Formats: sequence, structure tokens, C-alpha cells
Amino acid sequence: MSSPPAPRFIHYLGAFAAGGLISLMLLTNGTLAQYGTLLFSSWVPHLTGTVLAIAILLALKPARVTPERPPLWAYLGGVSGGLTVIATSAAMNSALALSGTIALGLAGQIVFSLFADARGLFGLPQRMPGWRDFAGLTLISAGALVLIFFGATP
Amino acid sequence: MIIFIALAIASGLLVGLSRQLNGRLALSTNAWESSFWNHIVGLGFVSLIALIGGGLFTGAPLDAPWWAYLGGPIGVLFIAAGSWAINRIGAAQTAMLIIAGQMISGVLIDFAMGIPGAAWARILGVALILAGIWVTRQSKSG
Repeated sequence: MSSPPAPRFIHYLGAFAAGGLISLMLLTNGTLAQYGTLLFSSWVPHLTGTVLAIAILLALKPARVTPERPPLWAYLGGVSGGLTVIATSAAMNSALALSGTIALGLAGQIVFSLFADARGLFGLPQRMPGWRDFAGLTLISAGALVLIFFGATP
Repeated sequence: MIIFIALAIASGLLVGLSRQLNGRLALSTNAWESSFWNHIVGLGFVSLIALIGGGLFTGAPLDAPWWAYLGGPIGVLFIAAGSWAINRIGAAQTAMLIIAGQMISGVLIDFAMGIPGAAWARILGVALILAGIWVTRQSKSG
């Protein structure tokens, strides 16, 4: 496998901006769930997203990076995403509420990402997390917890 | 209660798993195609759940404001960005920057919509997150 390109500012900015997209999605899908069911609020964006993705592929015709076919399991990211909706909605309706669910979800995401990097899980580049990663994660987690539990009074 | 705590943690693990799988798909194809497969496979899966459980169109979803239907296009961009970033800066840094971006934009949206909240918490939270990004960014030479 070829080595990944060196990290650049644009990669960090892209990931940070993607986080902003989540906030917008929480707003759109959350509003949709107030009028319809939670399942509907996941089904609609998957449907409209599929339509837009087809349009983008037809318009840009992006080339595949390698002629090698990806393993079949690599196509299952959408199933994992669908299961996320079910797990989140079940937890959200318990005593954990939205804030507790988000906080524990972030913890799960962070633990998974550290483990995935350390092992190069599913064929992605292996990358041993350093002390700066842990320091950064600790600060960001602390800030996230402050915002989740004290940032807004519903 | 333990089961709900486990489900909440599992939701985070599933988010990470999804990004890892989409990232692997992008490694052989490209970020846009990865986002396409994520959406069409997810659509099939959610449709299946709806067929089994029923009640997909319960309520009055057509009464929702038009912009509430724009989550899909935003999601296409989000999955493509995640698949692109994870192969360049790794899963941990992708996750922490996405979390940072989500939290800070959330504060801005709350502020813009006039949602009440403690000013000290918003300032402290954003400051901690910015410090976290700053610490992490120093590691690019490593």
C-alpha cells in the first residue's frame, strides 16, 4: 500500500469544517424528526443524499485511485451508519437524555479512533498516537463536556 | 441503565467504524464514490428496518419546513470529507477535529438562534477546544 500524503493544513481544516456540517445536519434531521418519526428523519437524508451523490459522480466522473477492487466489507459503512441512528435514539430516550448520549458517544468514537490508528484497522494507514494526540484529545473532550452539560439550557 | 450506557457508547464506536470502512473504500475508489455507497447501502438498510418495523410515514412529515429536507446533501459532503481526511491525518485526528468543529459550530448556531446558555461555559468550552487543536497541530512534523 502506498504511503499516505503528508498532512497539510487543508486536511485539518477540511475535518474541522466537516464537524460544522454535523451541526447543520442535527438541525435539519432533528427538525424533521419533530414532524415525522426518527426513522423517517434518517431515511429522507439517505434518499436525497443518494440522489445527490449520483449526480456528483455523473458530473465529476472521479477516477478510481487503483484498479484493484475494494473488499466487499468496505461497502458496509452505510449499515454501520444506520445502526448508529438506532443505538442513538434508544439511548436518547433513557435517563441519559441527549447530553449524556452525545458525551458517551464521543467517548466511544475517541476510543475507537485511537485503537483504529494504533492497529491500522481495516487496511488504513497505521499511525501510533503520540502524547500530543492524547493531550489534544483530553483538552477537546474537556471542552466538549463543558459545552454539552453547561453550554445551553434547553 | 447499563444497557443504555452501552448503547450510547456503541453509537460512538459505530460512527468510528463507519468512517474507517468508508475511508477504506475511498482508498480503492475515491471520496465521492465512498460517500455514494455509504448513502445507498444505508438507504437500503434503513428501508429494510422500516419494512420490518413499519411506521415510516407516521406523523405529519410534510408539514416540516423545506430546509429540514436538506440533511441529505449535507451528509454527502460530510461523508466524503471524512473519507478524504482519515486517509491523510488518521482516525484520531479526524475524529477530534470533527468533534471540535461540531462543538464550536454548535455554540455559534445556539448563539445565532438566541438559545439561552451560560456564557462562562461557552467561552471555557471553546477555549479548551481551541487549545486542544493547537496542541495537536504541533505534531505535524512527527
